[in-house]
Amino acid sequence: MLRYALRRVLWAIPTLIATSLVLFFVTTLAPDPANMPGRTAAGRLLPEEARRSRFLDLPRFLNREPQDVRTLARLALAGLAVGGARQAGAADQLRALGGAAFPYVLPLLESLSPDARGRVAAALAPVAARMGVRDVGQLERPEAAVLFWTRFWEDRALDFTRGAVDRAVGRLVEHGSEWREHDLVVLDTFALPEIAGAISTTHDRVTLERLTRLAQHASGRGQVALADATAGDLRRIVGDWKEWWFVHGADFVALDGAERAVAFVTDTRYGKWLDRARSGELGVSVIDGEPIADKLLARAPVTLLVCALAMLLSWALAVPLGALGAWFQGRPFDVATSVVLFVLYTTPTFAVAELLRRAAVGHSVETARVGLAVGALAAGSLATLSRWQRAAMLEVVRQDFIRTAHAKGLSALRVAVMHALRNALLPMVTLAGLHLPTVLSGSFVVEEVFGLPGVGFETLRAIESYDTGWLMAVLVAAAVLITLGLVASDVVCSTLDPRVRDVLAGRQGGRAP
Amino acid sequence: MSEDERSGIVIDLARRKQRGQENSPQHANRNVLRHSLVEARQAAAPYVTMARIAMTRLARDRLARTGALVLTMLAFIAVFADVLASDLPVACRWRGVVYVLPNITRPSALRDDDCVQMERDRGPGDWLLTPLVSYGPAKAGRDREVLLAPLLHGHPFGTDALGRDVFARVAYGARTALGVGLAASVLLVALGVGLGALAGFAGGIVDALVARAVESLTAIPTLLLVLVVGALVPHPTTTTLVFTIALTRWTELARLVRGEVLVALAADYVTAARALGVSPPRVLWRHVLPNAIGPAIVGATFAIAWVVLVEATVDFLRVGTPDTMASWGEMMGEARAYTHAWWLVAFPGSALLTTLVALFLVGEAARNAIDPRLRGDEWTKRG
Repeated sequence: MLRYALRRVLWAIPTLIATSLVLFFVTTLAPDPANMPGRTAAGRLLPEEARRSRFLDLPRFLNREPQDVRTLARLALAGLAVGGARQAGAADQLRALGGAAFPYVLPLLESLSPDARGRVAAALAPVAARMGVRDVGQLERPEAAVLFWTRFWEDRALDFTRGAVDRAVGRLVEHGSEWREHDLVVLDTFALPEIAGAISTTHDRVTLERLTRLAQHASGRGQVALADATAGDLRRIVGDWKEWWFVHGADFVALDGAERAVAFVTDTRYGKWLDRARSGELGVSVIDGEPIADKLLARAPVTLLVCALAMLLSWALAVPLGALGAWFQGRPFDVATSVVLFVLYTTPTFAVAELLRRAAVGHSVETARVGLAVGALAAGSLATLSRWQRAAMLEVVRQDFIRTAHAKGLSALRVAVMHALRNALLPMVTLAGLHLPTVLSGSFVVEEVFGLPGVGFETLRAIESYDTGWLMAVLVAAAVLITLGLVASDVVCSTLDPRVRDVLAGRQGGRAP
Repeated sequence: MSEDERSGIVIDLARRKQRGQENSPQHANRNVLRHSLVEARQAAAPYVTMARIAMTRLARDRLARTGALVLTMLAFIAVFADVLASDLPVACRWRGVVYVLPNITRPSALRDDDCVQMERDRGPGDWLLTPLVSYGPAKAGRDREVLLAPLLHGHPFGTDALGRDVFARVAYGARTALGVGLAASVLLVALGVGLGALAGFAGGIVDALVARAVESLTAIPTLLLVLVVGALVPHPTTTTLVFTIALTRWTELARLVRGEVLVALAADYVTAARALGVSPPRVLWRHVLPNAIGPAIVGATFAIAWVVLVEATVDFLRVGTPDTMASWGEMMGEARAYTHAWWLVAFPGSALLTTLVALFLVGEAARNAIDPRLRGDEWTKRG
């Protein structure tokens, strides 16, 4: 049994990967912000930034030249060495790379032509200013600058190693002080990987303030999480930093050997997308800058509550209704319920919800709204489920063992419940898994109609403002939930029924020859 | 003499015996054999096929007849929506020029005119043949009093908040609903039957791939996907909707068809056909696929209903088909803000409900007629 469950779960993995491909394809449908300036959401991000945040600068499935700080620094150096039109852009690039590029720039200074050396040194002057070097003025002069940077690298090369930075950040997190903070300011962007890591793990407000101040100082963007900020602001700012690091981290990290080989696959749009979906780092909502994962967690209870209540209600009603209908097949009770259920079956959920809302207008309390939403959602499910139940029951009632049960003098009630219904419930378990997507979709509709602040309600707002991150997160979450539901219903079904187990496990050759 | 020739002779002998010709010895000739087989088939009157049985059963079903009638009427409304309601006349003579069906051809000379205005400014010699309702689905009302008015003169179903005629929008909504429903289901059935048959027939890796595709698409709630695609695509059109629905919902039908194909492949007549050296494509086409036609037809009927439902829901949530198309769901969605304007909900709502009921009735009847074995639970049985 356990083996079957395990196999089923393992098989769900390729399924989910295929699903992710479909969903990834859906994201690629979204317009490139560079082409459609008017359409991307809320104007919170510049087009260039919006492109990067969706990894549109990366290839889709295979990145033959993954970019890291080393390649970027080389590029900037080459640009500065050539001079001319590309010079300004290269200088900006080098300034943005900052300290992280030192190991790949400073040792090469000597090998450059004097002109190029001067230009590089001049381009590095803003970085020196950022690092708090005292007399920046003299760094404008090429000779002095070259001398300074050469000396600097001779003195400080040992600080620019991952281990040293790791220790420095560790010290800062443990016992923060102005002095330790200053130590990291000198390292500039070279310390960003460790700082970003510490930001996402630490919960201490003072440390967070120090870390975000450092990150802001080095990257020249973002906000400082002040120690007296509200919890919501704090969450938003930390989320923003995490998101920024997820998108821009590669600019400040050098990829070596194996990492570089892995980056062929991971440093692509699909890779990043998958990584994001897998790690729960779902990014930041473009509507209000809140982390999507937090928002999803805050909204999910409403949706799940409505879904669970609706499923419970519809099952509780559908099983007896369907079973009785089959038991009294053709009698007035069956005909009456069939007609009513048929009408319910054909009425769209949104119409039921809308009717209920109109009927209840004027006296709508919070709980009443939830109740009505559950009722509207359950109505559709009830019709479907009871039709299935009736069909399953009819199948069983015709079989020989029911006649035998009657013949040996059991009471009708006992036959109906113990013999017929017990067997007719089995197919329903399988169908429960298949029923989940319908209920989920329906909950979106009822949430919208009754204004319940659930996932569905938020999703429709996200659609209005083209919040792709949220939409993808919801699709992935729904896909995972539904797949798990299918697996669970299969496993439960095969636990209950050995015949099903044999067929599903393929022991009797689950399929015709 | 081969096995089938011998059995043919047995039939032949039996037929001749009936006609009192038992003593004719020279029947080894194959031509004679074939002739007598045809005779035997013709003699077995009445000659019934499965299709005819199904049609007879379907025709006998009163509910199915009602449903079909309603559907025909709806199709009629959808096709002739321009004649039922339009802002331009069906035919007219205007300023000395005769126009035929200007409501469809939309001549540029009449671009700024509409029925009401033309009726008012009619000069000598001009005549108009107005549609049933002289308002189009998109034209907003000009006067204050036609906004949100119930059952006005000239507006049999009233007007909505923008002054648009509800009757016209309901009529054109039939076109949207049935058009999207038909287009998506045709695609969906083609995909479902094609891939399902391929998976069942080819087996092996193809089967595994299709099975994975089916499972992974099942994991995505279609309504959500349609909404998201509608939001992400730069210029969402009705075609986007049709393709999104068709490309994600072929799975159930494929599963069903695959099952039918597997059952048929195990049948003796397929083994016989193979043994006779019939090529695999021909086995699939002649001997296997006909078994899947029944489920495909039933699937198509339900698919139309399902697509109409999804289209209405998506439009109700106010995204999807572009604004120029009138859609029942969209009308009901727009009516949400006007709780007391019952006509805004009642007419499109009952049109939608009627369509769905009719489609489900026909679908159920078709299912019972074609194959009584196929019932609710069969639909979703996982293969």
